[in-house]
Amino acid sequence: MSVFSESLKAKIESFLTRYETRRSAILPVLHAIQDEHGWVSETQVEELHHKYGLDRVQVKEVITFYDIYKDHPVRKYQIRYCKNLTCHMLGAQDAICKIKEHIKALDAQLGEDGPFSLEEFPCLGKCDGAPVMLVNKERIEHATVDKIDSILSKYAPLPK
Amino acid sequence: MAEQKPKIILQTEGLPDQRSLKTYVEKASGYTAVRKVLGGMSREQVIEEVKQAGLRGRGGAGFLTGLKWSFVPKDITGPKYLICNNDESEPGTFKDRYICTVNPHQVVEGMIIAAYAIGANKGYIYTRWEFQEEISYLEAAIKEAYDAGFLGKNLFGSGFDFDLDHYTGAGAYICGEETGLISSLEGKKGQPKVKPPFPAVSGYLGRPTIVNNTETLANVPWIINNGAKAFRQFGTEKSPGTKLFSISGALNKPGVYEVPLGYPFASLLNIEAGGMQPGRTLKALIPGGASAPLLTPAECEGLTMDFEAMAQRNTMLGSGAVMVIDDRQSLAELLKVTIEFFAHESCGQCTPCREGTGWLNNIMDGIMDRSAKPENVERLRTVARNMGGKTICALSDACAMPVMSYVQKFSGELQAYLAAGSGGHSK
Repeated sequence: MSVFSESLKAKIESFLTRYETRRSAILPVLHAIQDEHGWVSETQVEELHHKYGLDRVQVKEVITFYDIYKDHPVRKYQIRYCKNLTCHMLGAQDAICKIKEHIKALDAQLGEDGPFSLEEFPCLGKCDGAPVMLVNKERIEHATVDKIDSILSKYAPLPK
Repeated sequence: MAEQKPKIILQTEGLPDQRSLKTYVEKASGYTAVRKVLGGMSREQVIEEVKQAGLRGRGGAGFLTGLKWSFVPKDITGPKYLICNNDESEPGTFKDRYICTVNPHQVVEGMIIAAYAIGANKGYIYTRWEFQEEISYLEAAIKEAYDAGFLGKNLFGSGFDFDLDHYTGAGAYICGEETGLISSLEGKKGQPKVKPPFPAVSGYLGRPTIVNNTETLANVPWIINNGAKAFRQFGTEKSPGTKLFSISGALNKPGVYEVPLGYPFASLLNIEAGGMQPGRTLKALIPGGASAPLLTPAECEGLTMDFEAMAQRNTMLGSGAVMVIDDRQSLAELLKVTIEFFAHESCGQCTPCREGTGWLNNIMDGIMDRSAKPENVERLRTVARNMGGKTICALSDACAMPVMSYVQKFSGELQAYLAAGSGGHSK
């Protein structure tokens, strides 16, 4: 039995023939896997190697090089908060501290099952909306410290 | 206000369905330039027109676009490629993102014309992963163009074929460097390649490849429609045309504005961007992205937004990323943010960059927690001086240049921060 769903298999196969070389499919294939699973597991890398001819070393070097790919389980909502210059000038650090507190409180209640993870991200390219964060693929602008509770409560209940 | 300024790129801005094919065709003469080109212009004529226009690359380096195209060998058989660099990774830059939001079809049309000029039948738009929404706009534009018969085989009955696909990056600053981007498109780590050979001779999969920035390509249809001479009415002698500036900071209206090159900085700040937020004053300016040396308020006097004026002040226009630093900011903190960014993004191939950015980051950590000795401020400059011009790509220089400018122009504030924390804290 495949570790991939039928729809994911179809996507992977379409990427393998879409570009000039099979190797160019590595990034799109990994994006597709993460869209469904959130991260890329060792088992999945082996499946790509044996069944789809994507060399495991080449796949792993891509996973470890790029910030977006994760080789460990991720939480339901991955927060990426921009910490670059403009976001920093407009209050990113205070908001990041607030998110950390929030996650800590939730984790104290729920343990490893907490809904959020936080990554202080190098740059999100939306400085006119600074400070900016992503929750999974959704971009949230002007995410200042005073708005963090209301932003996060849209995804999961606030800590008690 | 907006109508007084020429619009070459953002022609559909603010119109209903601004990024649709219909709006581009009906309101911005969309896809007339490509018909003109494929209807009877030779490749050489297209390249010559763009050369005459003096169009310079809008991604940061400012290299002449027509000249770059002319480096593709003419008599070579086999595939050639055109890549749109939509990675837009320089901190402070968000203008290509805005083009995708407002007028993606002009990029597509520019690509067809550029592809014809260099003899490429396949193109890619490479966009950073963080631009999820904008990727969907580009994919929609590509689909609309295919459905209308503007992409694919035998375009406009000319016999010229051009296929265009989109490719999504995965979070790496270095993929904005053209050979790093090519490595990434090949499914590899985004590590830059040694030049020469330049991509025009040996690029994607070892084939002749031209990589152009999104804004650069979006200029091309307008130049073909209106001619090089009309293009040169705007801007300066050496920097013709308009430029999109991404201006951000504690401003009333941060955003993307299209103005002629040579536009006064004071107007960009006070008219377009609505001035600084109440009670804030200008402390320093980053005129062209995180890798540009910063300017003092005195150096901003009479500053115009063009390649030459920036070079005169030993900084650069870069990608047009204007970051306004106000009086509440701590330059020590901002320097730390800058260095940490480059240390994170160094791809690790070249020792001066991999080690240099790390050393700078360590020294900076000592300044931030005030454990460093006073001479360590100057040591930042010594390390930075040894990072320039020694590596495969410009990332090392991109880190070293701003570091040297902070130390040269604001060492007093860095020393004060180290001594007592009187350098101010951002709020």
